[in-house]
Amino acid sequence: MSGFRESELNSRIGIHHGGTEARSSDSGARLPAGHSESDDDTTLTVGLTDLMAQQEPAASAMPLTGLVPSVPPCLRGESSSSEILTNSAALSLAAPGIHITGMNSALKRVPSISAEAKALLNSVGFVPSWRPAWGKVRTFGLTFPAGIELIPVKPPEGTVEEDTSALKRIAPEKPPHEETAGGEAAKRTKIRPPLDALSVQDRLFFLLQPPLENWLKGQELIMPFEPFQYQYEGIGWLFSQKAALLADEMGLGKTMQMITALRLLLRAGQVRRVLLVCPKPLIPNWQREFKTWAEEIPVTTVEGDGFRRNLTWRMPGAHVLLANYEVVVRDYQAMITEAIKNGHNIRDGLGRNTDVECRTYIDGEPTAPDNLSQPEATCPLPQFDLVVLDEAQRTKNRDSLTAKMIRSIPRRRSVCMTGTPIENRPEEMSSLFEFMGVIPPGANPDIRQLSALSKEFILRRTKDLVMKDMPPRLDREEIIELSPAQRVAYDAAEKEGIMKLNDLGDELSIQNVFELVLRLKQISNYDPLTQESSKLERLQADMEEIAASGGKAILFSQWTKTIDWLEERMRPYGCLVYHGGIPTPKREPILTKFKNDPDSHIILMSYGTGAVGLNLQFAGYVFLYDRWWNPAVEDQAINRAHRIGCKSQVIVSKFICKDTIEERIDKVLNEKRDMFHRVLGEGDNTNASLSLSAGEIFGLFNMKARTAKGNKSIRPATPAKEAA
Amino acid sequence: MAQAAPKAQLGFLGVVNLAGTGFVGGLLVTNQLGRPLEFQCTTPVKPNRTQEILYGPTLTSFVCAELIGKTLFERLQVKPQLIVCDQPEMLALRSVISLPVALILPKSSPPVEGTIRAGAHQLQLHADFMSDLEVVTEIAKSFPGDADLIEPVERVREALQETLRAGAAA
Repeated sequence: MSGFRESELNSRIGIHHGGTEARSSDSGARLPAGHSESDDDTTLTVGLTDLMAQQEPAASAMPLTGLVPSVPPCLRGESSSSEILTNSAALSLAAPGIHITGMNSALKRVPSISAEAKALLNSVGFVPSWRPAWGKVRTFGLTFPAGIELIPVKPPEGTVEEDTSALKRIAPEKPPHEETAGGEAAKRTKIRPPLDALSVQDRLFFLLQPPLENWLKGQELIMPFEPFQYQYEGIGWLFSQKAALLADEMGLGKTMQMITALRLLLRAGQVRRVLLVCPKPLIPNWQREFKTWAEEIPVTTVEGDGFRRNLTWRMPGAHVLLANYEVVVRDYQAMITEAIKNGHNIRDGLGRNTDVECRTYIDGEPTAPDNLSQPEATCPLPQFDLVVLDEAQRTKNRDSLTAKMIRSIPRRRSVCMTGTPIENRPEEMSSLFEFMGVIPPGANPDIRQLSALSKEFILRRTKDLVMKDMPPRLDREEIIELSPAQRVAYDAAEKEGIMKLNDLGDELSIQNVFELVLRLKQISNYDPLTQESSKLERLQADMEEIAASGGKAILFSQWTKTIDWLEERMRPYGCLVYHGGIPTPKREPILTKFKNDPDSHIILMSYGTGAVGLNLQFAGYVFLYDRWWNPAVEDQAINRAHRIGCKSQVIVSKFICKDTIEERIDKVLNEKRDMFHRVLGEGDNTNASLSLSAGEIFGLFNMKARTAKGNKSIRPATPAKEAA
Repeated sequence: MAQAAPKAQLGFLGVVNLAGTGFVGGLLVTNQLGRPLEFQCTTPVKPNRTQEILYGPTLTSFVCAELIGKTLFERLQVKPQLIVCDQPEMLALRSVISLPVALILPKSSPPVEGTIRAGAHQLQLHADFMSDLEVVTEIAKSFPGDADLIEPVERVREALQETLRAGAAA
């Protein structure tokens, strides 16, 4: 404190600035706390020292009256009498300018206050309350497996390369309403996720595939013909389904759809090893179709002796194996026996049920290893990513050895192909569903459940629904009177046969009745004794016209004996024969000759060998010389000619001899056609395939079934078995 | 027999902005024939009100390109040679990645200088990166003449809808 003279003060007053109290540092007297408080103690200082400095002179000149201390008389030399002597002495006492009471009158003065500027302790800064920070963006991803790279097949040297920039059209031009204003095709066939694809990666896998039209157009080997719209849909459906039954009506291109779906599955990395099982006569047909639709895919046929077949089954580089049912049954039976001997536990071929092959990522990190194929070493049997059964009705009896062996093939996907998913009873589909893995082993779904499964796992289109612009098929039932000699022979045989049946009494079996039916049907074809045949006469008359017009006809019969008998009589029309008795290597040249030889107007076929898998759409006429027991088999036969690619209408002549067993059978079968429509839905008028029950067979002769098992169905061996 | 086309890998970027959900983006990598090789998508990115105000008209471009597009590109295991988009705002992705980004112009757009013919469409590049012109022209040669470049972007959008449905169901 400037100006404060400590030596002249007995006490001093200190004020602590910035504190909450003020006190006298010597006396310890406290001032009220509020006294020292200031609203702005950092900027203002009250100059008390100046104030005190101003008080000093006044204090030093102050008189000491009343301030001299009283002295006792004894000390002052005074007697104790009443006279008191007094002496005055000037006292010069240096006294501070403070009242003895401690009050300084100068404090009464108005203090002078001054202010001065002081610097702030901290400089002013800008602190933003928001920053442009975004949270981490989370991602989910999947990679698609690399498909098999197949080497495009080079055309033979010297051939002119065709312009393949556009597909050859077999489908009709799209109507104008399918085009947008900009000329862009509005119709695209997208692959839809199957109903059982629940995980998002499974669904994305299918949704992110390109439209089939774009995909097929962009293949290294383009499609030789542009498919119809319903075929695109079928290809997409087969691509997405792990279990599928393609049951298109014969002639709608099931083979082409399957091959194309296989092609896409191989390229998309969804399958690497495929087994295609078909009846033996259809092996060349599949080979030919692969060459047409997917030339770049090598197809290996399982054939030859046991050693060679064993090598073929385990050949690692074979993407597509082709085998007939008999080879599959024989080889798998042997391999299973061997595996059991070696202590392996053989289970159903659908040991596992994986989803699509893809790898998923969350924020760029893989979630799990991809589910690639099981190592071959852990499975004693040859295993496949996909097993396709052509003419899958061959496995309709689930307890048969064929069905059991087929089900034992280790596989991830199962596809059945048949134009006749039901030949006799709806329950036959249970065996196919079991192979497909959509019902548990041994399960017997009722017709309602079968119908529900059909909607999910069966794709069936009929010509009525999808081929409205296809040339029509004209069915004619040729009711023919037997020739006199035939009539005599027929009546005698029937009379004699019924008498024999009656004579059998309780020993009468359905087989006895069946033999009589066959005998009568043969006489209806021709009389073995006189060689007369009213059917032959009708046939010759028709063939005259067909040959004259350059047309071609296919004739089907149940018996090779009838075919051989007809061959001699059909020679004028360039007759060819195609049945189970013809060695397999010779069959393909016969078909080629029938197609290319202008003098060959008719080919005679058995139902068993010729009814399935052949493409004879250049033939405009079909004769059913005798009737098969099952209309579905007849339809298969007819559709060799009435199928995609046929240029004109197909005329089908069904020969039925009047007042014979043929007429009676036809009537019974027609009455039963509607029974099976419920299973496969409306609009399906060709799958009503059925055979006769025992009661119905007896009824043909106004007889009653003699056995308790009257509903047992009887019929001859299936055409496919005969063919094999 | 068709000649084997030179191989190219393309990325197709699509972003959808759904009210109440935000921006969701997907990047599909295909080969030159449109077959998928990889797909990455984001969870929804929803700007708050402050971000909407402060980013103003640049918000969509920032979210689509710098947030979503860049993140998706960085996540890819299979790197494309070109990224194609159908929204002009996404062209800004080019400034944050070292890969050409091209905008698909409508089919009706007249050919102008600086655009490239690719399949049935024309591609436009970012104005600041016209040096990509040569590279993109070379890549575009691998496209079939009638290649529809819009279709894969539609696939991306359909897949995004599927993921949102799956997310809502979960």
